[in-house]
Amino acid sequence: MLLGLVITLATFLAYSWYVNAQIAGLRAVQRDLVDRNRKDSLQLLRIQNDLNSLDVAMRDMLDNDEPYPLAAWSTQFQRVRADLDDAFRLEAQVTVGRRTPEQQEYLGNRLAQFWDAADRIFTLARNGNDKEARDQIRLSLQARLAALNTAVARLLVENNETEEQTGLRIAQIYDRVQRQGYVFLAGALTAILLTSLYLIQSNRRLFAELSILSEQRSELAQKLISTQESTLRYISRELHDEFGQVLTAIGSMLSRMSQRSPQEVALHADLHEIKDVTQSALDNVRTLSQALHPVILDEAGLESALDWYVPKVARQTGIPISYEKSGTPFAAESRLGIHIYRVLQEALNNLTRHSGAGEGWVRLKYQPDCLQLEVEDHGAGFVAPTGNDGIGLVAMRERAELLGGTIQFTRPAEGGTLVRLTVPRSRLESANGS
Amino acid sequence: MSQVIAVTAGSAFLRAFPPATLGFRLVEVTGPAGIHFRHNSGAYGGKLLPETLGSGCAFLDYDRDGWQDILLVNGMDWPGHKRQRSTLHLYRNNRNGTFTDVTRSAGLDVEMYGMGVSVGDYNNDGYPDILITCVGQNRLFRNTGRGTFVDVTRQSGLAGRQAFSTSALWFDFDGDGLLDLLVCNYVKWSPEHDVFCSLDGKHKSYCTPEAYRGETCWLFHNRGDGSFEDATATSGIFDTSSKSLGVALLDYDQDGWPDVLIANDTQPNKLYRNLHNGKFKDVAVEAGIAFSSEGKARAGMGVDVGDFDNSGIPGIAITNFDNEMIGFYRADRHGLFEDMALSTGIGPASRNTLGFGCVFVDADLDGALDLVAVNGHIDETARFVRGVGYAQAPHLFRNDGKAHFTDVAAQAGSEFAQPKVGRGLAYGDFDRDGDQDILVSANNGPAQLFRNDQLAGNRSIRFHLTGTKSNRDAIGANVRIFHSGMSQSRMVKSGSSYLSQSELPVTFGVGKQDKIERAAIEWPSGRTEEYKQLTSGRAYDCVEAKGIASREGF
Repeated sequence: MLLGLVITLATFLAYSWYVNAQIAGLRAVQRDLVDRNRKDSLQLLRIQNDLNSLDVAMRDMLDNDEPYPLAAWSTQFQRVRADLDDAFRLEAQVTVGRRTPEQQEYLGNRLAQFWDAADRIFTLARNGNDKEARDQIRLSLQARLAALNTAVARLLVENNETEEQTGLRIAQIYDRVQRQGYVFLAGALTAILLTSLYLIQSNRRLFAELSILSEQRSELAQKLISTQESTLRYISRELHDEFGQVLTAIGSMLSRMSQRSPQEVALHADLHEIKDVTQSALDNVRTLSQALHPVILDEAGLESALDWYVPKVARQTGIPISYEKSGTPFAAESRLGIHIYRVLQEALNNLTRHSGAGEGWVRLKYQPDCLQLEVEDHGAGFVAPTGNDGIGLVAMRERAELLGGTIQFTRPAEGGTLVRLTVPRSRLESANGS
Repeated sequence: MSQVIAVTAGSAFLRAFPPATLGFRLVEVTGPAGIHFRHNSGAYGGKLLPETLGSGCAFLDYDRDGWQDILLVNGMDWPGHKRQRSTLHLYRNNRNGTFTDVTRSAGLDVEMYGMGVSVGDYNNDGYPDILITCVGQNRLFRNTGRGTFVDVTRQSGLAGRQAFSTSALWFDFDGDGLLDLLVCNYVKWSPEHDVFCSLDGKHKSYCTPEAYRGETCWLFHNRGDGSFEDATATSGIFDTSSKSLGVALLDYDQDGWPDVLIANDTQPNKLYRNLHNGKFKDVAVEAGIAFSSEGKARAGMGVDVGDFDNSGIPGIAITNFDNEMIGFYRADRHGLFEDMALSTGIGPASRNTLGFGCVFVDADLDGALDLVAVNGHIDETARFVRGVGYAQAPHLFRNDGKAHFTDVAAQAGSEFAQPKVGRGLAYGDFDRDGDQDILVSANNGPAQLFRNDQLAGNRSIRFHLTGTKSNRDAIGANVRIFHSGMSQSRMVKSGSSYLSQSELPVTFGVGKQDKIERAAIEWPSGRTEEYKQLTSGRAYDCVEAKGIASREGF
């Protein structure tokens, strides 16, 4: 997972660097080529405009319809010349490095030739030789201007081509960046997808292991509980049936013996004493048996067991416990009933021993689809279980599990604890039927 | 919903900025004043280029009675399409708010395709002479001093030139005390060589100047014997690339020698700096006024120069095509102009108008020059093509004295603000109440006279200058007044605006001041005079080297 994160971050960094580099390159292209090209073209257009002005002026000179000597045009030429010189100077600055010295020299020569011819023509004109000057304009000046114009036009065309190529290059860079962008996006998405899948997979495995562990633990606990219950039940039955029978028989025999020898007072007293001891042992066995596994549960059902047990606890502890029942009763199989009984036992045990409550409520609710057992007190309330006390709660949960139901520990509005066990009726009855 | 919001916002805006009560009103008095003039462009459907551009108007005191008379230039029907006779018209001021048409008696009842007018006393006889620029041959009319004019085109040496002339101005460029003449020409055009242009490929429309080759302006040097010699080439003014429409006189470098600014249409403007030796040098590019701030040669039409920020250095307004804004320049001390159209508010307000005539006047006499510009498109189909309208409302930009201008044309007068196909524009105090009234001419439409009525009681002081050593009209003289911690300056000038000529006397608005501390006059001869403690609310006659005399009123 960490590796995935590192890879993702690294990819992002690499991509940012790449985009930056491309943008810097683009800027350089823009600066070096596009801007300079544009500036150069502007100057070339200015030059072309000036050459045009000269062309128009030359036509005016040849038209010979002005009442002015040819020399009058020299100021106009000087004005254009000043502007041309400035334009050529600026043009040379922006075009530096992009044109061969030969090209630059060619342009310079053309210009020099033009002005050379122009100067000679104006000298002729100033000396009154207008006709010869006009001939020279026709013969050489117009041709030189045309050559200059062609040279400038060619440069403009070159600039245009450069601009086109540059445009193409820029478009390529854009395309590349875009393509890389898609690749990066795809890569990043794949990385994220793989990382997520790996995460999901490992989490699932972890949860599966956990749940197996939990199930195993639960199974173990339930087996423990079941084993315990069956053992207790067996012992309880043995105690009740075997020892109970034996002690009852001993009692009967002692009664009979004392009737047969009524005169022997000492013996009589002894027998009576033995009989009392036996009776006491019988009572103890019965109590123990009852405590280990209430026989009443097997014999009279859950409800009767509760009817017997709740007042007994109240009596033994001196804490008044109100016991309510509601709904239409249905029978619960005793092997399952024992768990409900044990939950009640544990809950009441908590109530009497830990809650410090002066009163308790037990409610048995037969509902159409489930059986609900509630034990409520308004005592100290539920405290996170620690040590051995905790085992009681765990056992209560396990028993609820065994019953296929749920157990909730909540805090009533008045404070204290409300334990609510809910067992689906279907579970109780199906177990009953089977 | 959004409409409701817009309306609410609008009314809130109006509440927040109630129409400022202007200190003046422009009242149309054309009819009552007896002026019934309608320009004839000669348009018959042939869509000949000159039809779109005329014509000009002028205030002049041709009879020297101290009352400004009016001259309106006219075109005429084209040869082969004759329907009516049309001539320029001269209206004599009856001194009671009305005018009398004296065209015929003055001898000006001559047909010509007139464009512009420039008025100057070229022979220094005290009576203003008239140059009418034309499509074809320009005409120079000498004032006889007896209420009549004589066509002296031939004698003066101006004959024999066919051109498409536009604005012109008189000025003494070489300081010899004689007025020389500068004539602007538009393009090489003649009816025979008219070019076919079309917007839809089928019907002929008016061409833009790009379709034609430029034409040089002309400079004529006054020989002093009633004739002129062509100084175009020798002075360096010669430039066949120009397509000039407007011209203004200024001393941009403050050297006491008159320089010339020429507004060119689709070509760079020209600023001809006087080199003091009979030559000029175009410094428009260096001065930053040849192109717009984006480097574009705009369609310059009219131009005027005025000290609108009372800095003593002339500022410049140039009207341009629609979508180009008025160029509104202020110069720094190094003679570099900066276009302040945007920051002053004039640019945005003039973006959709096509301006022609423009003049700086202190309409409310508050001591800050306002700017008036008349507008109107070239082609009637303009409203379909560009949606800006053929007839357009004029601008009257009121100067708040803090370099911000607001168009108050609508508040100044409803007739004034009505859309017109405006061309010429001139100012002159025809009713002698001390403020400047406005004369507007329209293409193929009526000329209109607007009387300026002051409402806030602002006062002015006016100066009539007469040169002795300098040219008699004192054109080029600079007058500067000082009052309440500020100073204002005006130049006596011909030319400016578009095809038009305003009165020569200079007017200063001084608000409620009844006195000014001093007035300084720099005569074209170089002489300077200073007068102290002058009273406002009246005019002064100043004669070079002879002193000053107060008039009763204006």
